[in-house]
Amino acid sequence: MQVFLTQILNGLQLSMLVYLLAAGLTLIFGLMNILNLAHGAFFTLGAYCGVVVGSLTGSFWLALLVGPLLPFLVGVGLQSMVLQPLAERGRSTHLDLALLTFGLLFATAGAVEWLFGSAFLSIPTPVALSGHVNLLGISYPVYRLFIIGVGLAVAVGLTFVFDRTLLGATLRAGVDNRAMVTALGVNINALFAIVFGLGAALAGLAGVIAAPLTSVYSQMGITIVVETFVVVVVGGLGNLRGSFYASLIVGMTNAMSQAYLPEVEMFAIYALLIGVMIVRPQGLFRNVERVG
Amino acid sequence: MSDEVTIARTSTTTREAITLATEVRRATLVLAASAIVGALALPWLSASYATTLAIEIMIAGIFASGINLLVGATGLVSLGQGMFLGLGGYGIGIGTTVLGLPLWLSVPGTLVVVAIMAAGIGAVCTRTRGVEFLLITLAFSQMFFGSAIKLRLTNGSDGMSGIPRPDLTFLGLNGDNPVVFYYYVLVVTVVAVAAMWRIVESPFGSVLAAIRESERRASAMGYAVSSYKVGAFIIAAVTCAVAGILQSQYTYFINPDSMSWQLSGEGVLMVIIGGTTTVVGPLVGAAVFVLAKQGLSILTTEYMMFFGIFFMLVVAFFRNGVVEALKSALWSKP
Amino acid sequence: MSALEARNLHKRFGGLEVISNLNLTVPPGQRRAVIGPNGAGKTTFINLVTGWLSPTSGNVLVDGHAVAGRPEKVTRSGIARSFQRNMLLEDLTVVENLRVACQAFHPCRRVFWRSKRAFATVIEKAERAAERMHLTDILEVPAKHLSYGQKRQLEVALALCAEPKILLMDEPAAGTSPQERARLIDLINGLPRDITILLVEHDMDVVFATCDLITVLSYGKVLATGTRREIQDDPTVMEAYLGHRHAGD
Repeated sequence: MQVFLTQILNGLQLSMLVYLLAAGLTLIFGLMNILNLAHGAFFTLGAYCGVVVGSLTGSFWLALLVGPLLPFLVGVGLQSMVLQPLAERGRSTHLDLALLTFGLLFATAGAVEWLFGSAFLSIPTPVALSGHVNLLGISYPVYRLFIIGVGLAVAVGLTFVFDRTLLGATLRAGVDNRAMVTALGVNINALFAIVFGLGAALAGLAGVIAAPLTSVYSQMGITIVVETFVVVVVGGLGNLRGSFYASLIVGMTNAMSQAYLPEVEMFAIYALLIGVMIVRPQGLFRNVERVG
Repeated sequence: MSDEVTIARTSTTTREAITLATEVRRATLVLAASAIVGALALPWLSASYATTLAIEIMIAGIFASGINLLVGATGLVSLGQGMFLGLGGYGIGIGTTVLGLPLWLSVPGTLVVVAIMAAGIGAVCTRTRGVEFLLITLAFSQMFFGSAIKLRLTNGSDGMSGIPRPDLTFLGLNGDNPVVFYYYVLVVTVVAVAAMWRIVESPFGSVLAAIRESERRASAMGYAVSSYKVGAFIIAAVTCAVAGILQSQYTYFINPDSMSWQLSGEGVLMVIIGGTTTVVGPLVGAAVFVLAKQGLSILTTEYMMFFGIFFMLVVAFFRNGVVEALKSALWSKP
Repeated sequence: MSALEARNLHKRFGGLEVISNLNLTVPPGQRRAVIGPNGAGKTTFINLVTGWLSPTSGNVLVDGHAVAGRPEKVTRSGIARSFQRNMLLEDLTVVENLRVACQAFHPCRRVFWRSKRAFATVIEKAERAAERMHLTDILEVPAKHLSYGQKRQLEVALALCAEPKILLMDEPAAGTSPQERARLIDLINGLPRDITILLVEHDMDVVFATCDLITVLSYGKVLATGTRREIQDDPTVMEAYLGHRHAGD
């Protein structure tokens, strides 16, 4: 029973980490119909930034704050200076933009390799979050609880912004009818750029948070990004709430199979993906009917 | 090139139009003839370096042709075709080194297995379209990549070696000789490209084109669109597997890197460079790509970064392929 | 036995009921117009009949059988439609568009080893279809280079290639010139009487020149069904189109 509880918490922790990435990806897609295949690059970028800041200042909290900043800036820059102009010229379809980000994936993987080499780096766990705590009869690492907390906080925050604020409504309106929203005086391009940056920053945040747990290396974005893709497809592309539930499913599947069926651990996620695609290709949580 | 200019050109005096068309046709014939002669004579003309480069171009060209059936003919952009190239290579790797079967059994056996797997994978993937299809094919590809690394059968990340070249002793030839291998690959390439051309020109191919232009219209016409997509998926997979078989025979070796996402991306780039509308486009794209990669690797060790930038530039500015861009440039002469 | 029948048809999108308890019967061979103000549910109705949407409740029956479900199966069961917004194979030529449409029922469609040009019967059918729609002059022109009116013609021609028993046309006259409209009227009137035709249209000239009976839809319900005179005299119809104030005028 105690082992099971530990696994549930592990699953939750994995879920929340993937959620941070999935939320950013699905946000960008849902609002701008751009599939950012280079999303893992923001994860990696955030982690390396965190390492740099952490080793310079010795402070985890500073790394946490500053780490996502570079991904944010890169995201804003990418959207406003590359993707937006291309989309506006009308030459590039969503598929083209996705391919473009694929090229970016190559470029960033190469750049990271070049700048940092293949060494494994890390950020030390902060004192405040290290150690274990007694929870429901088990001893569980505080840091993992911290990850769970951050994930949940972000989930609540995003839902609040999108469902209940004017900003969220404006963004949703902007996707529906961009021209109209611009005519109403809203600078939708700036808004989209900021949202892209936000999505990138979330990925970067995930990178910093993951660093004390796993190592920081040039290929770290690749493995987690495939899981992110599975989450986003299972949850329904563009469906923020769906991503949350799908993250839970994928995280739990991962944890359970790691613990109880280690041989099939890797296939479990793909089996999930295949199963969902056979039964409901539009994602488990999509509630919008596709008009023929 | 605007539509109005094209229409105006179409209604230019008939004589001008015919002269231009004949000139283009003549030029294409000359080009094609020299390409054929060049291809046949290559090993005698030049050093072995050019021959090995040509072999690499042809193998890449077959890979790209398979991808183009999905991307260009049917409009399904897949980022996972590397998995079939790898499956082809590992197929004969397992067949020959593990099961001890001769090549004339391993090769068809591998292709049959790949076709069956492609039917299953295709049936699942074609339930989605557009960017979701992109993601699913990528995910499947990563799954096979991971399996290749983890399974003992495939020897993990060390890969499998000792993969044999075809035994051509009945012709009095030695497959290990690079020149002989060159002609072997040339024959396979010609057959593959000819087969692609026939498929694209066939009724089946015309349905694929209809699906690419408007999937809904194709459904409304009465076509069971999914089965055609799966059919295209299978043919593309088998073609990519053929490339994989040749690749592993070329290096006597296969390892998981042959099914990485990078490889799938390179294949798509070749198709985009060469242009999706013609059957030779993928070959042209492969040639440009291989030559550029050779050039880049001489200049710098940071191949991946510059490759990524190159990829982005091509997608941004030459989406219809360098071939199309050249065509428009030539046509816009007064 | 009616050719086409809708029974207690409902279609809901989330909170919005677009089709409400729609009942409609079209006997074989009839030319029925479906008219109504924008948003009345006319295109949704066609989508329901041709399998692009599935009803929330209720049935659509063709020759007494329930509709096949998926659009390709619907076409195979003898129902064809033309679309409100052109859905052509833009990069392909006019003749290739028609050829592909005519090929859909030919056993050669699955052949992948022989050239499509080897199957002359399909090509002939396409050329005959082009003749019928006055498209013979522009056979080799890519569809994307056609004028809007020509595209509309091709749109209808593609539907006819399926040799349907029931033809549904969604605003075929929209955006066409007077000559093209006249040709459309001739075409519809020239179709064999064993084809049942359902015409969604705003252009009343076309409706009056071709249709036997008119059904008026409003807010997803059938408001009235009748001949031209009956509809023109019906105050509820006027109200639906012009608003409450004009109903009594």
